[in-house]
Amino acid sequence: MIRLEGIQRRYVSDEVETTALHDIDLHVAAGEFLAIMGPSGCGKSTLLNTLGTVDRPTGGRYMFGDRDLAAMDEKQLARFRAETLGFVFQSFNLIDELTIEENVALGLAYRGDVGDRRGRVAAAMDKVGIAHRARHFPHQLSGGQQQRAAIARAIVGDPKLILADEPTGNLDTANGEQVMNILTGLNDAGATIVMVTHSPSHADLAKRRIDMLDGRIVASAMRAI
Amino acid sequence: MNRFALLSLYRSLVRHKLYAALNIGGLAVGIAVFLVLSLYVRFETGYEKWLPGYDKLYLTQEYWDMPGSPADGYSVSTMGGLIDQLREDFPDTVGTRFQETDANVVKGENATSEPFAYADSDLFEILRLPMIFGEAARALQAPDNVLINETIAKRYFPGSNPIGQTMTLTVLGKTANYRVAGIFRDLPPNTELRFSMLAKTPYPHPDKMWFHWGSSRAWTILRFETSQAAKSREAQLRGFVDRRAAKDQSTSVRNLSLKLTPIADIHLQSTPGRKMTAATLGIVGVLTLLIAIVNYVNLATARAGLRAREVAMRKVLGASRGVLVRQFLGEALLVALLAALGGLILAELGLPMINAAGGLKLSLDYAVVLPGLALLAMIVGGLAGLYPALLLSRFPAAAVLASSRSPGGGRVGARVREMLVVFQFALAIAFMIGTIVLVAQTRHVRKTDVGFRRDGLVIVSSTSDGAVTEPQLTAFMARAAALPGVRSVTTSDSSPGSSSLNSDSYAVAGKPEPGPSLQAIITSPNFYPTFGIKLIAGRLPDDSHRADDARNADDAARKIPNVVVNRKGAEALGFDSPEAAIGKTVGRSNPRTIIGVVENARFFSPRDPVNPTMYYYHSRFSTIPRTTLRVEGDPRETIAALRGIWRQIAPQVPFEAQTANQNMEEYYKADDRATRLFGIGAGLAVLIGCVGLWGLASFNTQRRVKEIGIRKTLGASATDIVKLLVGQFLRPVLMANLVAWPLAYVAMRTWLAGFDDRVSLSPLYFVAATALALTIAVLTVLGQSLKASRAAPAWALRHD
Repeated sequence: MIRLEGIQRRYVSDEVETTALHDIDLHVAAGEFLAIMGPSGCGKSTLLNTLGTVDRPTGGRYMFGDRDLAAMDEKQLARFRAETLGFVFQSFNLIDELTIEENVALGLAYRGDVGDRRGRVAAAMDKVGIAHRARHFPHQLSGGQQQRAAIARAIVGDPKLILADEPTGNLDTANGEQVMNILTGLNDAGATIVMVTHSPSHADLAKRRIDMLDGRIVASAMRAI
Repeated sequence: MNRFALLSLYRSLVRHKLYAALNIGGLAVGIAVFLVLSLYVRFETGYEKWLPGYDKLYLTQEYWDMPGSPADGYSVSTMGGLIDQLREDFPDTVGTRFQETDANVVKGENATSEPFAYADSDLFEILRLPMIFGEAARALQAPDNVLINETIAKRYFPGSNPIGQTMTLTVLGKTANYRVAGIFRDLPPNTELRFSMLAKTPYPHPDKMWFHWGSSRAWTILRFETSQAAKSREAQLRGFVDRRAAKDQSTSVRNLSLKLTPIADIHLQSTPGRKMTAATLGIVGVLTLLIAIVNYVNLATARAGLRAREVAMRKVLGASRGVLVRQFLGEALLVALLAALGGLILAELGLPMINAAGGLKLSLDYAVVLPGLALLAMIVGGLAGLYPALLLSRFPAAAVLASSRSPGGGRVGARVREMLVVFQFALAIAFMIGTIVLVAQTRHVRKTDVGFRRDGLVIVSSTSDGAVTEPQLTAFMARAAALPGVRSVTTSDSSPGSSSLNSDSYAVAGKPEPGPSLQAIITSPNFYPTFGIKLIAGRLPDDSHRADDARNADDAARKIPNVVVNRKGAEALGFDSPEAAIGKTVGRSNPRTIIGVVENARFFSPRDPVNPTMYYYHSRFSTIPRTTLRVEGDPRETIAALRGIWRQIAPQVPFEAQTANQNMEEYYKADDRATRLFGIGAGLAVLIGCVGLWGLASFNTQRRVKEIGIRKTLGASATDIVKLLVGQFLRPVLMANLVAWPLAYVAMRTWLAGFDDRVSLSPLYFVAATALALTIAVLTVLGQSLKASRAAPAWALRHD
């Protein structure tokens, strides 16, 4: 489904040039659950952001199915994100001024006609067990609940790909387990997931794992089933 | 504030240069507008307050309750002998009088006109005008002495001492030599006293109307030690008028009363609309300052929310609450002082422009301005600094540091800020509507049909000077008529810009006595064609009907003169149509037969209603003959040619001629000036509002960077983000209309009510102002919204 060929990402500031990604080649098949591991600053999040088109590579090719994403303009990319991707962040990134329900509905806000909006929002909240908190504001919820709400927002639009950036990084063990259960459940149901994590045990729940160091993929392993 | 606090303030200002410049600049502009408009209001309300003991001086005014008559309302001058009769009836009367007129200063063959007054010899006891040379009290004892001001001294005696020298003056048609006995200081610009030369009131007075009640001859000024004394004297004046005036004014004395007006109130009271203009501009100044303060405080407190983390850190490092409060207040005061200084500089820089736009001579009085500004800076600084000082320093440091959010006031803060934007824009939109209506009205009065053709009319007022003889007038008229480009010539006692105040009441069957009052205008041949006043019924007077000439009617015992009335006159006299008035005789003791009805002609201010008017006809010249010429081509050339002729015929009388448009301009000037000042104030208020909106938009956009990032990862396009951010500000601007429209409607209706000839308050003005405000608001926030919408979402997400 996803083919990255020679992807590069360089940041240039006034005096310093930093290379975050060196010639990354990566294939992700539909239905895969890929975990990305590596020390801080190795380029995991940059790679995830690149996959999510919220960061543009400075070199290489990014094919999503038969679409060349490098050839798309901002408007087309925004549409692509709205229709194809779901994001889950370490810091949840819920909008403080909106209720949980409104935050989840935001996942459909930029998608044109999607049919029964309310029904889909309710279903997504139900799926992650947060429906009873629909009218609350983010700050009234625990971290685990906030992350589940963020997952509901990511899946409400039935995305082809879910990108999760350290989704358990801000959670305690119990809540972390819960979130991982939701993610594996989604994967079992057919969702493609790419997840950045620091936790080896959570990485083990993925079907495949790659390790990164200094902007390069240094190891790749399939989970033994 | 210690050195570090100052340093961090300086760095914060430098780091956020644009924000600092706009925020401080906005407040500075507000202060400058307030300063300049306060100067204007101070000038307008300061008339005669320069006179020592002004608060004890009262002008005796006649008040005529005669709607429809030109005499209706207050008259600053009274019958000449009023003070003599007051002294007879009230021996404790303390006061003086002077009669303002023009004097022709004759030098060799030529003469120039100067403002002059005949004054009683006790004038200087009451009006303590500062003298430069001579003893005023003694100087006004001798009838052939004259006192002159500095300007006259310099103009007529350059380089020599004027004292003891002789001046030849023609006053009220009488030429005599006067000896300069003293020099007084030039009167300041804020005075209604117009004289630059003074001589003793002749006694006994040669004017046969001097003791005639109902005539307007002299300013009568009385002095009372307390306002209570003035009030009780005013109450006694009713009986005095009934007693004294009844002899002259048998019937209309009921309409006359005498009022004592504090001399400092005369200026604002004497011209309609002046008080309202001063009040309006004062309000504009205060509101603009208020907008600027709201803006400043709003932005300062919003930004302070972003410093919660810094405050918490300082507390962790050991700063006490008192230290923090002092730091915030100190910072706010310093910045407000900077803005005040900026405002002062802007006001100084702007004053020449404002003076030019408003025809004013305003200047800053630092003894008053500096302490005022310091006080203002303290108030504004206090308001801006108090919120962060008290609120932020109260937050528990650990909670602030642990939280990922800045306590910027949250939803409540956002709502308060939105309300403040509503408030600002409500005022800004109301100002815009006001400006549009003012401009529409001032344009309207220039273009409206005034009932005569105002272009191509030249008016020579010199012909009405008492010193001009009939042969001179005849010769001038004949030569003027022969000039190329002159189509017709006429004389009348009223013309655009100056009017006879004569009026008379005409008894009409079915209406209470004394009947409607009609202004009397005396005309002569060619009056109607020269002015272009249209006949709507009957005929115009001519020499073939003997009764048309009002003077013939006077000669022939009991013969009724023929007259022409205007449309309003016919209505006032109770005729259903102009045609119905033709051939009818009105008036019981003063019968007149109407032979024609003409269209209303507005010779005066668009503020005053056109009077019901009766036109009399004199077959040679009118009395007080002001000459009017209808010319083709450039009127300036005609005036130059007329001046040449005048110098040959009557060199001892100064030549004065203007176009009708120039004379009418006098009526529009004050409103034009007010419109310009209002427009400048309103424009700057809108500008300040925009600065505030820009600042808030920038603040909000910054606060929402993370949200924008989230929305973009969820697929929001740049257009969606722009719509979101711009929409957020359109709501308060749209809500502002709910306040602005009724406010502007009431204010402008009140202002327009001061005009008899006025534009209607079209909804288009309101819609236009709203559209303009929306456009300005969108343009103000669009730039930042576009920038925010284009930022890469990954950057936005990292921003938190």
